[in-house]
Amino acid sequence: MSVPVNSPGNSAANDRIVFEDVSKFYGEILGVNRVNLSIPPGITSLVGPNGSGKTTLMNLMTGLVRPTRGRVEVLGYKADDPEHLFAILGYSTQFDAFPKGLTGYQFLYSYLRLSGRDAQTAEQMAWRTIERVNLVDAAKRNIAGYSKGMRQRIRLAQALAHDPKVLVLDEPLNGLDPLARSEMIALFRAAAAQGCYVIISSHILHEVDVISDQVILLSNGYVVAEGQIATVRGEIQEHPTQILIRCTRPRELAAKMLEDAHTIEVTIHKDEKGVLLKTRDADGFYLALNQLALNGNGNGIDIESIAPADDDVLSVYEYLIGNEEVVR
Amino acid sequence: MTIAITSGKARIWLAQIKAVIRLEMRKTFFAKRGLWIYLVAALPVFLFIAFAVATSGRQHQRAGIARRGEKMLTYLDLLAVKPGMTRQDVLAILGKPPVTFHWQENRTGELVSHESYGYSDGQNDLNVGLADGKVESVNIENGYNPGQDAIMFAGVFQFFFLRLAIFFGCLGIFMNLFRGEILDRSLHFYFLAPVRREVLMVGKFLAGLLATCTIFVASELLQTAAFLWHFSPSAREVYLYHNHGLEHAAVYVGVTILACVGYGAFFLVAGMLFRNPILPAAAILIWEAINPFLPGILKQFSVIYYLKSLCPVEIPSPPGTPPLLALLISNTDPVSAPVAVVGIVIVALIALYASSLQVRRMEINYTTE
Repeated sequence: MSVPVNSPGNSAANDRIVFEDVSKFYGEILGVNRVNLSIPPGITSLVGPNGSGKTTLMNLMTGLVRPTRGRVEVLGYKADDPEHLFAILGYSTQFDAFPKGLTGYQFLYSYLRLSGRDAQTAEQMAWRTIERVNLVDAAKRNIAGYSKGMRQRIRLAQALAHDPKVLVLDEPLNGLDPLARSEMIALFRAAAAQGCYVIISSHILHEVDVISDQVILLSNGYVVAEGQIATVRGEIQEHPTQILIRCTRPRELAAKMLEDAHTIEVTIHKDEKGVLLKTRDADGFYLALNQLALNGNGNGIDIESIAPADDDVLSVYEYLIGNEEVVR
Repeated sequence: MTIAITSGKARIWLAQIKAVIRLEMRKTFFAKRGLWIYLVAALPVFLFIAFAVATSGRQHQRAGIARRGEKMLTYLDLLAVKPGMTRQDVLAILGKPPVTFHWQENRTGELVSHESYGYSDGQNDLNVGLADGKVESVNIENGYNPGQDAIMFAGVFQFFFLRLAIFFGCLGIFMNLFRGEILDRSLHFYFLAPVRREVLMVGKFLAGLLATCTIFVASELLQTAAFLWHFSPSAREVYLYHNHGLEHAAVYVGVTILACVGYGAFFLVAGMLFRNPILPAAAILIWEAINPFLPGILKQFSVIYYLKSLCPVEIPSPPGTPPLLALLISNTDPVSAPVAVVGIVIVALIALYASSLQVRRMEINYTTE
């Protein structure tokens, strides 16, 4: 990777994607407002309903739109310096239009030539990327004849073609069949494991939940929460933490747990093989549960598993934003 | 070290400009929306082909008349006939006419016998009108008049090719370099590549220039070929090598290229600044048209001001032309060729500088377009 030539000299900023008091207005319409972010390596998901500002945030990150106020830097590169920025960044947009008359191969080859690579290197890199996104059979066909999923894959290929350090992917799994989805998710994970920054926006919360190292929740142009999902969940005080305990004799356990001060509410699970508890102090509750088990007060109750029931993205999303326009 | 970095960067920029040109040429030459540009460029070629066909037909007629005549005539023979001569005088000089017409006219109760004799030396026509056996009118129609033809060519070049064909051709190509891709929603393809926006702009401008120059220089050369088609080989040689014909053709090609540079730069920046191309196009067209009436300082910010000065043939105003129209036709305030070339280049550079500022500010926001 090349050294940022326009870096501000702050080494901390050089390994982060930084938004500093960034606002973007489209005329009088708010895109995003007062965004402050510092995104580390790994997979970061942008989650929010339509119009919440996910794409605006990605466009700001990649210099396709300019902030009305504030500063955006990607690993020390300014977003309005495409020559250096796109040498380390690949962006798969939601724009479903391509230069006319190009085949999938020509699209990637032209992009790599445009990046300044010689013909031979561009050809090799184009074919390698086409293989990565499983488009070899369709590579010589005009993009105009591609299906939605194929167009999605060729857009991903454009983002991946030059092995960028930062991948910005706007709804990258849209239009892909389940097999292609799992292949792409594996690809994103592999990139993140190699230290890449993978920024993904998605409506599909269970996929976000599975792949994200951290999330940024957006609503109406504001960042509602950011960080690791469990941490974000822990900070939501108004909704008690839900814990699912799989056990034998759930009714007896429920009765015992109601005696504990940390427990707010206990429900027997529908299948009668566990209890769902609500508590405002998860740590205190776990301690009490341990005591119960150690002191032998369980009266023969076998606990099979204990797991938080609402520290996933879906729950966090519903608590903070509501359940509008999301796919579970 | 600095030089090495600079030359390395320059090499990458050059490679990127070539890549942009390759992509743009494909779109520019084969775009359906650009077909009308070929038609506009071809119109003067069709005009000169039609003119050459008509002139060649007339020359075949002249040759036929000359063959049918009693004598092989020369141009001097044709000039020898004067009004007032008798029929016998005419027949003595030119022989029996190959083409004759007779009719009678009643002039205040008296019948007048009219005759019309047609002669030709193979290249020029002579029509002699006789009334009651005396020459009343003599009319010579020259077959080859390179001077007159050159003025006609200059008129077509200045008033159609330069001001309309190249103008609108450049509008169609350069305005669409960025605007067309915004409308197609595909401009982000370029903006996602590690290319300086200014390098992209230069690449697109050069692609537009290459396309317009190819189309309009080819048209210009075809026009010249069509224009020379009806000339006999000897007349062609005289026109080309002794009458500055070749030099004029080269200058017209040069003016065509400079017109593409000037108008191209104007329309490139207009395409970035305005969503609707009709308004800036109309404004630039009016600005170019009123150029002769503008104060000297404002004239200099026009492309046609410099191009007119470079055109090799001055078009004379016909007698009786209204002064305002005469001002449009003639070039009352010409500048020297070097000043004209430098002037166009400076005007184009100013427009390109404005484009480079604009391209850096451009955002991808298709929904507002």
